[in-house]
Amino acid sequence: MKSLAFFLVLAGMSLPQAGLAHGPSRQKVTEAIEIAAPPAKVWAAIGDFHNLSWLPGVVKTTGEGGNEPDVATRQITLEGGATIDESLYKYDAEKMSYSYRVDKVDVKVLPVNNYSSTLIVLPADGGKSTVEWHGAFYRGYPNNDPPPELNDEAAVKAVTALYRKGLENLKKIVEAQH
Amino acid sequence: MRASKPACLLGLCLLLSVNRPATSAEAFITDQTGDEVSVLDLATQKVVASIAVAGKPAGIAMAPDGRRAYVTSTEGKYVCVIDTASRKILTRIAFPDTPLGIAADPSGDFLYVAGFYKPYLYKIDLKTDAIVAQTETGASPSGVALTPDGSLIVTADRDDDQLSIFDTKSLTRKAIVKVGAHPFGVTVDTEGARAYTANVEGNSVSVVDLKKASLIGNVASGKRPYAVALAKGRGFTTDQYSGTVSVFDLSTLQPVRRISVGEYPEGIETSADGTKVYVVNWFSNEVWAIDTQTLAVTAKMKVGDGPRAFGTFLRETL
Repeated sequence: MKSLAFFLVLAGMSLPQAGLAHGPSRQKVTEAIEIAAPPAKVWAAIGDFHNLSWLPGVVKTTGEGGNEPDVATRQITLEGGATIDESLYKYDAEKMSYSYRVDKVDVKVLPVNNYSSTLIVLPADGGKSTVEWHGAFYRGYPNNDPPPELNDEAAVKAVTALYRKGLENLKKIVEAQH
Repeated sequence: MRASKPACLLGLCLLLSVNRPATSAEAFITDQTGDEVSVLDLATQKVVASIAVAGKPAGIAMAPDGRRAYVTSTEGKYVCVIDTASRKILTRIAFPDTPLGIAADPSGDFLYVAGFYKPYLYKIDLKTDAIVAQTETGASPSGVALTPDGSLIVTADRDDDQLSIFDTKSLTRKAIVKVGAHPFGVTVDTEGARAYTANVEGNSVSVVDLKKASLIGNVASGKRPYAVALAKGRGFTTDQYSGTVSVFDLSTLQPVRRISVGEYPEGIETSADGTKVYVVNWFSNEVWAIDTQTLAVTAKMKVGDGPRAFGTFLRETL
């Protein structure tokens, strides 16, 4: 089982995330940005699970289930054609927050395992907003002694870069509208 | 309760137990990201010491007398023996695999540590700090627990969806009991009658009769449950993805309530007097106290980065 998983990782194929072994040390990333617009405006831009138009690198999103936790799923197609399958497991319009997990991703696209994530819009001073993006995940390599491109640091670096890019673009879009 | 002195006169004992503060205890919290163990004084609700164990610590077992804590460093591949009073690391015991789940024998003489990748449970003799025996488990053994009399060891074999029950003396496997999907933490009740395991991918807790080696039933929990604590006839489960503690009745196996806690709750343990459960929130770096009678959150305490506290982490200081 492990050797098969290892072979698939080496071959660069997509792996289902659930049920596979993962590293022993879960990683976390929190990125935040202040946006000069009220929380409701920001939530209007990101509150739909099926709208990732604010995230650079995303070509399209297909899916179903609306914003219903444990029902909604989406497939993200990235520039270059790679896809990521995700599902929604928590949604709270009142708290302006939703949580989702990655069901399938190629570790060459995002070097992580067992990835889950939360987006939340919080009120900030002066009628502004703060958006926080939280990620929890294991490194891309499930076994001992990972190669550098699939170790804990590589996973944290990739997720941090994704969050920064996404939040900065979101800020630009919402502040231009506001 | 454990601290009652049998030698004293009855009247004096009563007086002492009445005057004793309810929270004369400490929590030893393994901060995996922070690479240290935070010592949390549960009376003042402050971290009073940090022990630099390094190697990404995750699992912990407290000695029955509270004088030693045994910590597994997952990346460092060693077990640290900590003198809890002086906060000093006494020794580091090298381990042949990534160690995670760990339990201390009630006698205080042995440790039982699960390998994260290879399906073995290892026995460490604390007189020599050496591995003296090993036995095969199911795939990916995670949580380890002993019955209070020390006669049985239970492992949660994550990738085989089962509990293994071992005779402690001979380390022979007496039984395998199939449970829900991906059991992780396992807790044995004070009678040594039942084991409770959190099924991470089953979103449930399985309840196992240890004598009959059979499944009694499953209780629904929140999402991705991690570990179970028992108090006042109820079970308490940390639901990592839901950010809740699920409470259920131990006799009816029916859900009682879901309590919102911090982000990604993981380790959980009941205080010695049974009045509180302490919940370790991995993402938000906090330990929360829940009153086991009222089910109200009574304290929120900051600790180091990435606390997991997988195992038993509480000790009494009086």
